[in-house]
Amino acid sequence: MIMRPGQQLLLPAQPLFIWGSLLVALLVNMVPLGRTPWMPDVLALVLVFWSVHQPLRVGIGAAFVFGVAMDVHQAGLLGQHALAYTVLSYFAITIHRRLLWFSVPSQALQVLPLFASAHAIEVVIRLLAGGVFPGWSILVAPLAGAFLWPVISILLLAPQRRAPDRDANRPL
Amino acid sequence: MPLGTLDRTPPPFFKQGPSALSRLMFFSALAFFLMVADTRFRVMQPVRAAVATVLYPVQWLAQRPVDAATQASQYFQNLQMAQASEQETRKKLVAQSLRAGQVEQLSLENDRLRKLLALKEQIKTEGQAAQVLYDAADSYTRKVVINKGLAQGIAAGSPVIDESGVLGQVTRVYPLVSEVTLLVDKEQAIPVLNVRTGARSVAYGDATLHSSLLELRFMGGNADVQAGDLLTTSGVDGLYPPGLPVARVDKVERRADSAFARITCVPQAQMDAARHVMVLKPGVGQSALRLPDDLPAPGKKAVRK
Repeated sequence: MIMRPGQQLLLPAQPLFIWGSLLVALLVNMVPLGRTPWMPDVLALVLVFWSVHQPLRVGIGAAFVFGVAMDVHQAGLLGQHALAYTVLSYFAITIHRRLLWFSVPSQALQVLPLFASAHAIEVVIRLLAGGVFPGWSILVAPLAGAFLWPVISILLLAPQRRAPDRDANRPL
Repeated sequence: MPLGTLDRTPPPFFKQGPSALSRLMFFSALAFFLMVADTRFRVMQPVRAAVATVLYPVQWLAQRPVDAATQASQYFQNLQMAQASEQETRKKLVAQSLRAGQVEQLSLENDRLRKLLALKEQIKTEGQAAQVLYDAADSYTRKVVINKGLAQGIAAGSPVIDESGVLGQVTRVYPLVSEVTLLVDKEQAIPVLNVRTGARSVAYGDATLHSSLLELRFMGGNADVQAGDLLTTSGVDGLYPPGLPVARVDKVERRADSAFARITCVPQAQMDAARHVMVLKPGVGQSALRLPDDLPAPGKKAVRK
């Protein structure tokens, strides 16, 4: 197996944990905080994460379905998030072989354009459909998403980092 | 498979399904189809309703922390503030009780006069109270979600008011909740009547998102509009009952380079802080008043999106 030097060997990912984390991300996105364009899109972040780490399990179809759910929740244009997440997931799958060779902070730098493009797609579509420009604070959202990448990497890889053979000295 | 994972099953070599690019094409096309069907043909309401029903438990769950935080902050609110607000409410109640007493007598008198003049009787407007659940997160429009839906008999197009004026209009109804587009939304318009002059016009939502203002468009540069004029619903649309306060004129700019004045108005309803609202039955406005009796009353106006 070819591995980055110093990288830890990971346990297999639990499908239940993958889908659970996606649902929790959807839940976080749905917390009604009002109109806050600067909020990072946690669901997009988790979708990119699993598209990079488990591209055979979480792919473009799942991204599309979660996008439709977000559209209905936000009462926006139906298909706006679906398109953005589809493109996001496609780019994530395109870079998934390369991305994991880098350290986590430089991974964050590389996923930043992905989030930026997803937000750009949404803004362009809504402006074409006759929406109002939500203000420049929307530029913060992809940056915040990229900043959360290391956090989400630690959180979502934690179950895979457990010891394969647990004993009294290594309970986790 | 990702680097450095101890997966027990080898990744499939040949059965990989369609390529990522073809999937991207398929799902993007589907998304574009959804968008066109939603904006142009408006046929996506059943899909929306189905997804909304499935999502309802998740939304309910997501709302708990915010509700808990609001309740906690209310609980720890100052006693003085509570007393002050109670005093305020009492004052308002006293001021309104006088008017409420007069209204009975006035409406009786009005009925008799209308009979005398053989005018159509005013139709009583029914309504039901609802609570605002949250502001819709979509940053490109101005909408709120209320906790009554199809199950409670809410119809699309219903006017929504709060304690001080017209708030907006129900634009989408789901089984358990509905979406209300606020008057300040860019695509919302409401026919109004200037109480001081009796001139009718139409107020549009202001295009800039963070201003929460209304705009009276297409009023001539010499039109009799002054800052401070109260605008109420005129009822010509057959949708909003007449006489509900809508907005107060804030600024009148008469410009030399344009035949029209730029008139901005401040909505009377609390666009950002409304909690309890009233959903009125649509299509019971007074438009029938202006038609001769042999003409059919206009049906429900198409809902503006």
